Amino acid sequence: MNEASALYPALPELILAGGAMVLLMIGAFGGERATSPMLSYAIALLVVAGLAIAAMPDERVALFNGSFVVDGFAKFLKILAVLGSIGTLWMSGDFLADPDRRKFEYSVLILLATAGMFVLISAGDLIALYLGFELMSLSLYVVAAFDRDNVQSTEAGLKYFVLGALSSGMLLYGASLIYGFTGTVKFAGIAQEAANGGIGLIIGLVLLFAGLCFKVSAVPFHMWTPDVYQGAPTPITAFFASAPKVAAIAAFVRVSFSAFPAIAAQWQQIIIFVAIASMALGAFAAIGQRNIKRLMAYSSIGHMGYALIGLAAATGEGVQGVLVYMAIYVAMTLGTFACIVSMRRNDKPFEEITDLSGLARTNPAQAFVLSMLLFSLAGIPPLAGFFAKFYVFLAAVKAGLFTLAVLGVLASVVGAYYYLLIVKIMYFDEPAPAFDPMGNALRSIVAVTGLFVILFFAYPGPLVEAAAVAAKSLF
Amino acid sequence: MTVAALFFYVFASICVASAVMVIASRNPVHSVLFLILAFVNAAGLFVLMGAEFLAMILVIVYVGAVAVLFLFVVMMLDVDFTALRQGFLNYLPVGGLVGVVFFGELVAMLMVGAGALAPGAAKAITDPIPPLADVTNTEALGLVLYTRYAYYFQAAGVVLLVAMIGAIVLTLRHKPHVKRQNIADQVARTKATAIKIRRVKPGQGI
Amino acid sequence: MLALLWLTPALPLLGFVILFATAGRLPASAVAAVGVGSVGLSAVIALIITASFLTTPPEGDFYRQVLWRWIAIGSFNPEVAFRLDPLSLVMMLVITFVGFLIHLYSSEFMAGDEGYSRFFASMNLFVAAMLILVLADDLLLLYAGWEGVGLCSYLLIGFWYRDPANGAAARKAFIVTRIGDTAMVVGLILLFTRLGTLAIPELMERAPQAWPAGSATATAAAALLLGGALGKSAQIPLQTWLPDAMAGPTPVSALIHAATMVTAGVYLIARTHVLFELAPAIQLAVAAIGAATLLLAAFSALNQHDFKRILAYSTISQIGYMFLALGAGAWTAAIFHFMTHAFFKALLFLAAGAVMMCIGDEHDIFRMGGLWRRLPLAFASFLIGAASLAALPLVTAGFYSKDMILWGAWTSGRGGPALWAAGLIGALVTAIYIFRAVFVVFFGEMQIAARSRYGWRIAVPLGVLSVLALGGGFVETPAALGHVEAFSRLLEAVLPTQREVAAAPATQATVMAIASFAALAGVFIAYLVYLRRVRAATILDTSAVQRLHRFWLAGWGFDWLYDRVLVRPFLWFAQLNRDDAVDAVYDGVAFSSRVSHAYLSRTQTGRVRWYAGWLVAGSLAAIAIAVFA
Repeated sequence: MNEASALYPALPELILAGGAMVLLMIGAFGGERATSPMLSYAIALLVVAGLAIAAMPDERVALFNGSFVVDGFAKFLKILAVLGSIGTLWMSGDFLADPDRRKFEYSVLILLATAGMFVLISAGDLIALYLGFELMSLSLYVVAAFDRDNVQSTEAGLKYFVLGALSSGMLLYGASLIYGFTGTVKFAGIAQEAANGGIGLIIGLVLLFAGLCFKVSAVPFHMWTPDVYQGAPTPITAFFASAPKVAAIAAFVRVSFSAFPAIAAQWQQIIIFVAIASMALGAFAAIGQRNIKRLMAYSSIGHMGYALIGLAAATGEGVQGVLVYMAIYVAMTLGTFACIVSMRRNDKPFEEITDLSGLARTNPAQAFVLSMLLFSLAGIPPLAGFFAKFYVFLAAVKAGLFTLAVLGVLASVVGAYYYLLIVKIMYFDEPAPAFDPMGNALRSIVAVTGLFVILFFAYPGPLVEAAAVAAKSLF
Repeated sequence: MTVAALFFYVFASICVASAVMVIASRNPVHSVLFLILAFVNAAGLFVLMGAEFLAMILVIVYVGAVAVLFLFVVMMLDVDFTALRQGFLNYLPVGGLVGVVFFGELVAMLMVGAGALAPGAAKAITDPIPPLADVTNTEALGLVLYTRYAYYFQAAGVVLLVAMIGAIVLTLRHKPHVKRQNIADQVARTKATAIKIRRVKPGQGI
Repeated sequence: MLALLWLTPALPLLGFVILFATAGRLPASAVAAVGVGSVGLSAVIALIITASFLTTPPEGDFYRQVLWRWIAIGSFNPEVAFRLDPLSLVMMLVITFVGFLIHLYSSEFMAGDEGYSRFFASMNLFVAAMLILVLADDLLLLYAGWEGVGLCSYLLIGFWYRDPANGAAARKAFIVTRIGDTAMVVGLILLFTRLGTLAIPELMERAPQAWPAGSATATAAAALLLGGALGKSAQIPLQTWLPDAMAGPTPVSALIHAATMVTAGVYLIARTHVLFELAPAIQLAVAAIGAATLLLAAFSALNQHDFKRILAYSTISQIGYMFLALGAGAWTAAIFHFMTHAFFKALLFLAAGAVMMCIGDEHDIFRMGGLWRRLPLAFASFLIGAASLAALPLVTAGFYSKDMILWGAWTSGRGGPALWAAGLIGALVTAIYIFRAVFVVFFGEMQIAARSRYGWRIAVPLGVLSVLALGGGFVETPAALGHVEAFSRLLEAVLPTQREVAAAPATQATVMAIASFAALAGVFIAYLVYLRRVRAATILDTSAVQRLHRFWLAGWGFDWLYDRVLVRPFLWFAQLNRDDAVDAVYDGVAFSSRVSHAYLSRTQTGRVRWYAGWLVAGSLAAIAIAVFA
């Protein structure tokens, strides 16, 4: 095997990073005219990267002294992240059409953020974890403030940046403690030493988890989420809610199982605490929200709580549950956000849930699909969201965490209130003026995710089995 | 050994003291100057540990570039730091409490954790480093940076690229009425494009 | 060729998807092409499959097609699989073929209705769900089809939803069948927890091993499944919804509430006959319920004024016959009667629909009369259907199937003669009520203007069904009349043959003669009373008889009874219980949610320092948990 082919497992990352640089050149010389084709180039690159991932073998391959790991787990989550990114770019056409925002860097930044997610998902040691984390976050800070003439957007970007820097600091502090107490940054090495790491290692672990929790916006590290989700441009919010969450959860799961299996009892406690707090906050804090993006922020906080239930179970089934959850969550989120992006009248975005009044009469098809997505987010059978919750609760119950599962069910009951409220507003309130007609891109996202959510129950096998295979590669 | 110990305490105490002054001094320019002092002393600590390359980098990059840039920014922007620090006393109890708890935990950790390092850790740490006597710091770094750590190096490079793109995309504005020098245009000028000859009838003007 | 099986439900489903997705934007001709064409193709495929199945029977006389594994959770891993055996073959053929004819009929009957596309979408979905129900290899998939047909029934009864009465009828049908469905779900859960599977063949194999005959669990399981069957098939005590279900368009009544869906209960019991044989008490109950229902509904039918309600009660009554047969252990007879009933009852409904279409949607039979001259085709087909329903001897399909049931009841051993007598009285009343309709509607003085205006799409189904209503019975004839046994030989691989009580052929012939006589006598009585109006008929006008008439008109007062015994006390209790403790719990939840929301949203100050403080405080808390917990 020659040197070049040895890099084959890193092909998707190379495609994205190299492609991003090529696009940067095209953009730098092509100027504004290059913006809209750039979107399609970027989507094409993501598709190619996704295919490259799908073509990888399922066996575990480690590169660069184990800093970069490709296995079934990484494959599953990378494809999910790619889908999230493609969905974001797909729905960004209208947003970039505005002359003030016609900047080609948008697509490049999304590509680089996705490359960062790949690094994060494949991280085999703490340094790669941190680099992936920063590559992803830095791009996110910039895109959050992308609408730079809009006060809310810049505020969102700045807040995200400052708090993100703080969380990175905590993550680094934790990583350095872990290194100090085990003498290695490799997950495999840490796993060997973890049993005798003592209290110092545990504090390091907690700080590392704090950084990761910040990225998945789990309570009590969630405070940035509502402000940033509300302030950032809507397609960006869709991005925040989908792909980076996948990558951060992936890092969470991988670190927990490949570096700290020996002290699972300790981190289980933290995850249980964080999961309960997130579910509760996601349910209770959202019920009074009137801004739909803010509402979705709380919704995503709650959903991360449910996903973490699977991690708290600390079993292979739990990981499978997390993966299924994330896959369904990404689909539901993209579909819902595509509907939110389409809430425009005369090219101006509207974000209050009362703007959806009587949508069932002005656009019955959209109202129907959005209702299905919301029912699914609420976890009502037989929609996909029900199965997502079902698998994590099942794993929790099998691991003996009955309280956690019961609390999860209760939180989802409260959470159902605000999803159903939107459905009620769409179907029973006096119609507000109709929105502008949906573009084909948005329509296709809404249709695909809607069909997925509605029909998942008939044939859940492939996804669930793929998740099982992916989960197995961690153990 | 005693000389080294003496210097360690000198550097360390000045470093900590100036770090306190960075946040305590009222004048922002003084703050930045104290920051420079802290950097220099930290560089001294690195030298004591035999990490002369890191020490020099710290002086050149942080003192020479970053801190001076801070100084420029502080002096040029005329930020009203007293206003920024308005709520300082309000936050002091909470911030102080958090700091104390963290410090306490750190101490507790060192006390309880007695041995501090896991048994295999010491061996693992020394693993990749060649003996200091044989190679210099710079050479040791050079040996691994582009081989063993090429991945980190490249990834860090991409992170910096993102930072650059971000800085440009968020701040660069093309103002329509600014005259710019276009050297290619200037060079391409010929007599034909630059001057126009008109025949002027005597006594009539243009 | 058997591998095409999945297409039979898939095609109507595809038709539904197309019609649903286009949401009425297609032109009527395209809607008809999709709606009728999908079921037509499905019928063709069903015929091909049948030919292949009969010429080269697969090994073990069944064909199993696994589409995919639905879900895998521990020991619960049901597959989405179809099972084609003689029983499901017969059901599938009848559903697709009669379904196709009714679709063809509807394409003309419903023309011009604003919900044309919605109608065919629901009808296609119904056919798909019904096929899934009968082809399912697994009780879970069967249940999916079961609920699917329930949903379509609801949608189609309330098809003309602008009239609140239709909506009420749809709700009534849905709620009443739901009572049965709930019992059925409990039954499924019981079966799964006790036997560890829901796959029908495994269930039928494990049940006799796990439970001795007459054991409590087997009895409970059979009783719960019977509950589901009673609801779907409108048997006592859940029969009240079917007459009201006539609010739907007539083709719906023909397809769903006569030919197919309402016989799902019969199919379910036949499919799980092993369970019922393990629970003799329940099997006896099936027979008793069938006998009671057939009599009760027949007497009600005798007193209806509404053309369609006569047929509705008649359907209840005929399904009562099928239950009687099932209870008597004459499994094949029940399925045989299902088939002939599908033919002649669909024919009756379609002919009645054609009649009512031509006289301006008049439902009251006493405002009709003398229509046979004006509507000869409708008259002829209705007469054929009526003859078959009344089981006029020798020439009609209904005669052979009803005879088989009566003979089965006679020889069943447990309460045989009593069941037989009930069936016999039923046969007499059946002949009276249906020929009452024939004489009142088609003979006598003409009271209403009628204009024949049906085209080939109505005429062809009527013709084809007439042929089937007459000739469909010759696949199985009694010993005295040629002794053809094609039908029972086909089904003997699935359904056990009846334990024959030794009886001389002469007895069988006598029994048959008595039944034939009853049918003919019924026709004659109807002729005397309703056409000749003999003097003795004035007894019908006395007040005692009138009271009985009103009682039977109202379906033996079941609606009144349920209203008083169940609905009103429930409403009263609900009223009384408006502010009970349970309510307070929910109000408390809502209140505490609002309070916690108020507090939690106050933490969201928008200030970065505060947020940073949370980050740090959160990590301190997490450290505390990790270190001290």
